[in-house]
Amino acid sequence: MKNIKLIFAGVLFTLSASFIGILLSGRVQLGSLGRAPAEEGGPLFPLREPGLAIQGRQVYISLGCVACHTQQVRPASQGSDIAKGYGPRHSVARDYVLQSSVLLGSQRIGPDLANYGARVSSENEIHAHLRSPKAGSAMPSYDFLYTTGKDGAKVPTEKATALVAYLKSLKIDYSSPEAKLNQ
Amino acid sequence: MTDQHHSPDQPRRPSAGDSHSVSDSRLVEAHSHLARDKEEPKEGFSLLPIIVVFIFCGFGFWAGLYLTRNAAGFSPSAFDLSAPREVASDGPKAFEPDLAKGEKLFLQQCASCHQANGLGVPGAFPPLANSAWATGSEDRIIKIILAGIAGEMEVNGMKYNGNMPNIGAGLKDAQVANIVSYVRSAWGNQAEAVMDTKVAEVRKAIGSRGQYSPKEILEQHPLEAK
Amino acid sequence: MSQDSYRPSFNISRVDASVAQPVRLFFASAFLWLMLASILSVITAIQLKDVSFLGGCSLTTYGRLKALEGNLFAYGWVTNALFGLNLWLMSSLTRFEFKNAWLANVGGVVWNLTLTYGAIQIIMGNMNGLSLLEMPKEVAVASFVGFLFAALWPVVAFSRRPTGHVYVSQWYILGSTFVFPIIFALTQLLVLWCPAQGVLQALVHSWFHQNFYLLWFASSAIAAVYYFIPKESGRTVSAYYLSSVGFWTFFLVASWTSPATLLGSPLPLWVQSAGVVAAILMLIPLVILAINFLGTLSWNRGISQSWNNTTLRFVLVAIFALILWGALFATFSTRGLNAVIRFTSFNTGLEHLLTYSFVSFVIFGATYFILPKVTGISWLSSKLVHLHFWSCAIGTVSLLIITLLGGWQQGSGLRADWPSVIFPSVLLLIGHIAFGINAFGMLTAKLSSGHESTHA
Repeated sequence: MKNIKLIFAGVLFTLSASFIGILLSGRVQLGSLGRAPAEEGGPLFPLREPGLAIQGRQVYISLGCVACHTQQVRPASQGSDIAKGYGPRHSVARDYVLQSSVLLGSQRIGPDLANYGARVSSENEIHAHLRSPKAGSAMPSYDFLYTTGKDGAKVPTEKATALVAYLKSLKIDYSSPEAKLNQ
Repeated sequence: MTDQHHSPDQPRRPSAGDSHSVSDSRLVEAHSHLARDKEEPKEGFSLLPIIVVFIFCGFGFWAGLYLTRNAAGFSPSAFDLSAPREVASDGPKAFEPDLAKGEKLFLQQCASCHQANGLGVPGAFPPLANSAWATGSEDRIIKIILAGIAGEMEVNGMKYNGNMPNIGAGLKDAQVANIVSYVRSAWGNQAEAVMDTKVAEVRKAIGSRGQYSPKEILEQHPLEAK
Repeated sequence: MSQDSYRPSFNISRVDASVAQPVRLFFASAFLWLMLASILSVITAIQLKDVSFLGGCSLTTYGRLKALEGNLFAYGWVTNALFGLNLWLMSSLTRFEFKNAWLANVGGVVWNLTLTYGAIQIIMGNMNGLSLLEMPKEVAVASFVGFLFAALWPVVAFSRRPTGHVYVSQWYILGSTFVFPIIFALTQLLVLWCPAQGVLQALVHSWFHQNFYLLWFASSAIAAVYYFIPKESGRTVSAYYLSSVGFWTFFLVASWTSPATLLGSPLPLWVQSAGVVAAILMLIPLVILAINFLGTLSWNRGISQSWNNTTLRFVLVAIFALILWGALFATFSTRGLNAVIRFTSFNTGLEHLLTYSFVSFVIFGATYFILPKVTGISWLSSKLVHLHFWSCAIGTVSLLIITLLGGWQQGSGLRADWPSVIFPSVLLLIGHIAFGINAFGMLTAKLSSGHESTHA
């Protein structure tokens, strides 16, 4: 243990063991995952994101929403996410293949958003929630994303429009080959 | 080179701990000797290395066990531990009965009694060729393979008194499905193939149980008319 | 009492003098970042309970401030302090005198400037969505260069050391110094420059996170504990022959633990199971560390004697924090228990236990030992030292109780809201201010008096 080369080689070995064992093997298994139909001949899922939603993800990231919101539904055997109504089925790797940056998150100060788009009824509902969250909600108001129009009504800025389009696009309302919706 | 100035971090408390302070070079050298010649064995301490080795082995054993039980066959598409294993590891590919695999398994598992030609042995092992037991109810044949059957039974007018063990209990759902599909299509038999999900369903329904008697199985699934 | 009796100036050993300048720079910048980070943690703690606090402006929205706090704590406070700590410790253990230590200053300046720039970018919202990788990817290049210049000096000292003997602290320092650039470069590459597909990003990120905390933070801190215990107690480390086993198992197992922080996520089950296994195997090196540390300290009233030594008092708290962390991490990485505490404040508590109660406490203890040696004057006020210790100790314990218990309650449905950490955050801030007054008093006093004696 006096030889610096030995220590370096050993440390490199231990690091590469986990790098190959977890990351590279994970890449071999999942790296070429693509969209797929739940049943033969069905439509391909996940759906491509609308352009506005892709911009909205950047707003979501730049406001640090991921500090309080996750986007993953755990299987029923690993937590009560499905029972809480966060989603109709658990998330699978395929759900994320189209996302340029994956925002799984690690803390739920607010609710999980993986299926948020399917839970809200309309974009207006999201706008209203962003501007003035219900009393008792731990979420701050994002009123600064809105300007006041000529008639005094609040008008969403481009950022707000994109963010809402993104939030509306968050849905797991389709079956995946790995996890079927219960009909 | 000794460090004479070990007390400044305690302006108010010239503490007992500090009087022990040693120089860096002595510290390094003393431990360097320790690493080379092991510490003198002391009472109650000499057992430690052996215990440590045992604990390491125990951990290693447990790790292997845990991984084989909880890795779902290292499948890339298994995310839910409670999901049925077969569905998970087959993933998006649907099960297709494979008659060639079925034949191979039949020759390994079944042919010693039922014979490769499916005619069985008179008096002991009933035939499968041209038998309603094989081509009739899917549930019945799967149940017999999974749980076994013992007692006197009548097949095509002949009496047999054999004892079939629960061969299917040790096979996967897909393997059982391949065997059944083969039996139902070989030697002139013409019946629908069986899916692995059907086997899984039956396996779940009967749970772990002993062999059937011919009377019991016929009560559940009466023999079809030819 | 005259001013001089408070600050007796004395000679600095030649080895210490050769690294004094960069070590002072690293510590000074670390303390500044710590102040900022702890002010931010008070603000974010208040924001959690009063959503309108500093609201109405995108610059001070909770998400950004929280990201900023995390980055300043990790890269500003801990990393800077570890630069200084590793450099000083390695040069002391090898008795190597640096000729060109000013190069480390360059590294320190680059590192801190890039961090400042990155922090401004985060506030402006130009950030990424993965914790500790929020700073824009261009910043990482400069950080990487800064790191190489700031942190690789222990390697130089070791390879050119005049003495032949090697001590366990040196392995840990070398290990952690090698690990950081590798994981940092690989992660930046696989997450930001050419992103891996889908959930693999999350996997790479967790791999970085766990290695960063265990193999950069904890490993460096373990090196310091291994040094201060025999140094201050005057005893050789008990069961020392186990320490090399402990070192290799620690490095081998720690980097596999990352999937244990992702249980239930959309990653294949086998990846998650590998993490669970590693999290429990972590008990092996941690038990060895506990035997080494506590075995050495627990002779003949050793613990109570350590309590009277400022450095050892901090280190003692840190050791218990490390042991508690190992026990909790292993226990709550089992699937059943993890299902309860995942996504709750329990994880905040575990992170705090490792990065603050263990690593930061070791740094505090080390600072009380090192600063007098590199400035040539003693600590200004023992009252402030007491205030620092008790404020931070009570702060960290209460924060742990609140977040761990609160997280468990959240997970089992007994409470809906996020536990409030305003009280412990304020306590920690008070402690840090006391610490800062003391430390900056020393650092600036030395600069103004300016004389540096260099004979040993």
